[in-house]
Amino acid sequence: MAKILLINPTVREEDVPRHVPYGIALLAAIAMEKGHLVQVYDENAWRQGDETTKAVCVADDWDIIGYGGITTTYASVKRIARIAREYAPQAVQVMGGGLLTSLPREMMSWIPQVDVGCVGEGFITFPEICDMIDRGGREFWDIKGTVSRKPGGGLIMSQMRPLMHDLDSLPFPAWELFPLEEVYFKNSQALFSEEGMLASRRLDINASYGCSLICRFCYHLGIAGDMRYEKDANGDLNVAFDQPGTYTRDIRYHSPDYVGALVKHAYDKFNINFVGFLDENLMTMDKFSGRTWMNDICNKWHDLGFAPKAKDDGTWTGIHWSGTSHATLCTKGVLKTMREAGCSHLVYGYESFAPHVLKTIGKGATRESNLRSFFWTLEAGIRPVPNQIIGFPNEDFDSIRMNMNAWDDLGIQVRPHFATPYPGSEWFTTYRERISGQYDGNMERFIFDLGDASSISAVISHNFNAVELLGLREAMLQLNYRRIDEYEQIWRKNHQIPDGAPSTLLSENMTGAFLRDADKVKSAIKDSERQDAVAEVTGAGGTH
Amino acid sequence: MSNDVLRGNFKTRDKVEIKQAEETLEDRFEMEAKKRLGGSIAFVSKKKVMWDTDKK
Repeated sequence: MAKILLINPTVREEDVPRHVPYGIALLAAIAMEKGHLVQVYDENAWRQGDETTKAVCVADDWDIIGYGGITTTYASVKRIARIAREYAPQAVQVMGGGLLTSLPREMMSWIPQVDVGCVGEGFITFPEICDMIDRGGREFWDIKGTVSRKPGGGLIMSQMRPLMHDLDSLPFPAWELFPLEEVYFKNSQALFSEEGMLASRRLDINASYGCSLICRFCYHLGIAGDMRYEKDANGDLNVAFDQPGTYTRDIRYHSPDYVGALVKHAYDKFNINFVGFLDENLMTMDKFSGRTWMNDICNKWHDLGFAPKAKDDGTWTGIHWSGTSHATLCTKGVLKTMREAGCSHLVYGYESFAPHVLKTIGKGATRESNLRSFFWTLEAGIRPVPNQIIGFPNEDFDSIRMNMNAWDDLGIQVRPHFATPYPGSEWFTTYRERISGQYDGNMERFIFDLGDASSISAVISHNFNAVELLGLREAMLQLNYRRIDEYEQIWRKNHQIPDGAPSTLLSENMTGAFLRDADKVKSAIKDSERQDAVAEVTGAGGTH
Repeated sequence: MSNDVLRGNFKTRDKVEIKQAEETLEDRFEMEAKKRLGGSIAFVSKKKVMWDTDKK
């Protein structure tokens, strides 16, 4: 058996740690199930600095040090890799997660300490790597889903790892290896609803993988069937994700039985009172299941006695929960059912209330469906969390005003994100040269710069630069139409766009390209009588 | 609750424990002030400021 150290890198240092890393908790459970010796160091939770990371690296004779995470963990991962190589030189370093998957060749080059990368889903790949190391082998190219170093230099990408379909065979996450009492439960509060605010013992679960929609700013990094292997410009095998006109999906979800058993396990073992569904889009799964999946999960909640019941003192028994919805795919009925089972808030990526912007982002939502779902959700007694983004490629003065009007009319309190081309998203591929140009050709600088999109990094707007977007956001927050009108006149003069003409510099060709696919998504979703309407666009097949 | 930062399914050769960072009054003040930064709430972050009065 191999002696494995898994390190959860630090992320979002400006906030307290709020989420047990679900992927690492699952990989730890899988490795232990296979008989390996596993320890977890949750650097993000403890935030003890480099000295403790060094101490952890010398605390035992590790065979494997594994780390990974989302793209925004890059700086931390790079630091951990350096420390691990210096203090545990004998350990094979394994990197995974979205960070590695989005740019496998670049990551192996930028972080030379990594011996082998786990590309895409690691549920099968990671334990196979552990088994090989345990046997003394280092021929990682024989394991599907890896990128590793050739003995003579250079990189080898092995065959692509197919996605796992029997998700219910996964063990429950090894939550017990993380500082729940010391850190996570203290930070349980989710300020999105009254029930979320009062959560004191929250754990997150993931009931499904992927999303059938093709939001161009979004990324799935292989887990949604969105990844392909193709030869790149250098003739090397590399990953490819959504590209204009090319979208692939493989939708997978756990059975309601598994979800129920998982929540019961969390309740029995950790006495939780709130669950956050991490799923990208619960409504995709519900649609794929023929509208049975959410209903069955809600029934489980009732059957297990977790549906909350109000107490006289204003508190309640049971387990409230939250998740993600979709403006067009939700129904009035399912929202009511979800509320009755304890759903307190649902995140909606409304993104914009401007029809001409919504048409280009591949979401399959319209201003009308945004408004409809907004009121349905409120009527059901669930708080909608109305996420907004500005700085889309065709964002213009009209869309800015439409958003402000909507916020004002609907009582939306929001500080919008900036449209950010995260690696793995279609817009990262489309705008790669433009992004690189904003960082003097140094893509690694862009990766370092990436945060949670509340601050600005690479700009993909054709009409506004970073300074303009920052200024416009401030004026939007104050609903200051006068300043925006004034600036529009300056902008039109600078770009020689006459009054009355659309305030855009985006070429008609590019708008047309965005719209072609958007119309396909829209018409497929609209035809709700046809089974799996979204699958028609994406070619996705649902499994659980 | 445990002071061990390493959690797993075996006992490691060396134990690694949490080092409790001592929060000073200065740290606490600066953290609280930062939360309300804006308008008339402004302060000097003492760990960042560098000055040498002798050089003047």
